[in-house]
Amino acid sequence: MPVKMGIFLCNCGGSLKNIDFPKVRENLEDLEDVAFVDISHNLCLEEGEKAITSRTLTENINRVVIAACSPEFCERNFARLLEKLRLNPNLLSLANIREQCSWAHEGDVTRKALELIMMAVDKARLLQPVERKEVAVNKEALVVGGGFCGMKSSLELSQLGIRPTLVEREPTLGGKLKELEGFYGSQREAMIKAVEKEENIEILTSAEVIGVEGKIGDFRVRIRRETKEILRTFGAIVFATGYKTEITAGDFPLKLGINIISQKRLAQMLQAPTLEASPETIGFIFDLSDENSRFPTLATLNNALAVKQRWGSEVYVFCKNVKVDSEGVEKLYREAREKGVMFLKFDENPKISADDGRVRIDAGDTLLGEEIALTCDLVVAEEKLLPAEGTEGLSSVLKIRTDSQGFYQEENVHLYPVSSERKGIFFVGNCRGDLDLGRVLADISSVVAIVHELLSPGKIMVEVERVKADPQKCVACLTCIRACPHRAIQLVQIDNEKVVAEISQLACDKCGICAAICPAKAIKFEGYSDDQILAQIEAIGVS
Amino acid sequence: MNGEIIAFCCEHSAYAAADAAGKQGLHYPEKLRVIRVPCAGRVDIIHMLKALEEGAAAVLVLGCEDGLCQHLTGNVRAKERVKYSGMLLTEVGIDGGRVGMFNLAANAPHKFIKIIKEMNERIKKQGR
Repeated sequence: MPVKMGIFLCNCGGSLKNIDFPKVRENLEDLEDVAFVDISHNLCLEEGEKAITSRTLTENINRVVIAACSPEFCERNFARLLEKLRLNPNLLSLANIREQCSWAHEGDVTRKALELIMMAVDKARLLQPVERKEVAVNKEALVVGGGFCGMKSSLELSQLGIRPTLVEREPTLGGKLKELEGFYGSQREAMIKAVEKEENIEILTSAEVIGVEGKIGDFRVRIRRETKEILRTFGAIVFATGYKTEITAGDFPLKLGINIISQKRLAQMLQAPTLEASPETIGFIFDLSDENSRFPTLATLNNALAVKQRWGSEVYVFCKNVKVDSEGVEKLYREAREKGVMFLKFDENPKISADDGRVRIDAGDTLLGEEIALTCDLVVAEEKLLPAEGTEGLSSVLKIRTDSQGFYQEENVHLYPVSSERKGIFFVGNCRGDLDLGRVLADISSVVAIVHELLSPGKIMVEVERVKADPQKCVACLTCIRACPHRAIQLVQIDNEKVVAEISQLACDKCGICAAICPAKAIKFEGYSDDQILAQIEAIGVS
Repeated sequence: MNGEIIAFCCEHSAYAAADAAGKQGLHYPEKLRVIRVPCAGRVDIIHMLKALEEGAAAVLVLGCEDGLCQHLTGNVRAKERVKYSGMLLTEVGIDGGRVGMFNLAANAPHKFIKIIKEMNERIKKQGR
């Protein structure tokens, strides 16, 4: 079909005074393929919409060029309008003559405006329609990890009508909740019961995920349960695999024993109904090296306070600094100090030595400016938060990155903290880093909202062949597969012989990295293809 | 083309920064022509060299800040390509500084202006 183009110029209510619109129209009218050039006052308002509708239908054009404000504002609206007019939204080409032309320069900018429109016109000539279709998605979600995050996410998802399957490695649910009983008073038993009572939730305990294939809406997951292997499909996967705590050997010259214990052991001692002899002096050590110590701070403050209240011991906390950036920690810190917990802040790591069956700590206090020697009955060692066992293996199964500490790496720490680079796979809670409860709850809410939005309609609209690898040109060199940040490209066999790259439209995020990197130039990204970009370059300076 | 500066702008950052500059009434040289791309990683060497061949004075690739690329590695790949193009240009006796890659955020119109002005100064000195 020959190209027939309609050009709409918008003067933004007559405010773009430094562009001579009649002159622009004059220059455009004589161009090849151009059916008409209209000048409008407000294309974004109802009258503009009407003008576009009537002109498009009467002139029967098949390309629309609009010179108006930034595409950031108007692209979506105009694309929707085109769809209403039974024109493919990809046949729209925009020129930004407001923000990047009229407003950005002083004096007459008619020539530049004309050039920007010429660029859009030359691009429009090469545009091809991109069909869209609906793809069915599986409405079930997989939640991996039966701890607090996993259980809460499952509960909330099932309340929204999504059927979650909860996979837990251990024989029972609950995860680390037992150790954290003192924290914010979480109710372990009640939660487990609620999850077990919920009919929508399928619970698989003693089960592990061993393989994930496919893409958003249709993940094929292999789960090993005891000796059997189950193959299931899910629309989305939420990982809530949690963390583990560990004392790094380098931090303490003395080994853990009766006098030096971990936070976990202290929590157990605190829960025990009776104790042979409650220790008189207790020293806590934390924040030795790790800057990112939200969780250890919280654990230390909670336990120090609990010790003070339960046993009435003298409590000393040795630390570099107390980081109170999580919710409620400032209050907890103040409360601990009011109750008589002493905070001693050191610059250099304290020395720990054995002293007649007790433990001696030598540290310099920066506030007092003095060396302090303290003999304690019990020293509670610093713990570090590390990713749970198996995180590394799972990340390689998923083909998802981990950060420098081994936690799952979010797609973008600022923009999409719970999403992974693979669409449809999400992380919540401490498997993605050192988070406090407030942040964990925020994580759960966002993941539940995203998964619900994604799966509840039961279908996703996708563009077919927006990005496409030409099987004739592809030599299966794997460059694009390695480069794709969203793991959207796979090798497939066509016609029982040639192996070529295929881009999954569901998983693709339309960045065009593959199109730029392909050495055979086999990948075409409609809308930003090589010839369309080059056409824009060639249009500059012609008029 | 007649000595224009071509800027390939990532729609997530630099394109928005250019818009913000316009909105705030910050002025920059009129010879700038912006080409919108979905990610700096979309820009290929051929695009930069073609622009110079057509007569552009300079080519800029503007992407997101390091580590903040919407598509994880797009800005890093773009940087590598720009470096390579610069090398190719130097090899054939053209100033490699006429292609440049810069990182900026969507809310950094002043940085956008600074980049454009600096490049403009550079090409002015060369008499373009």
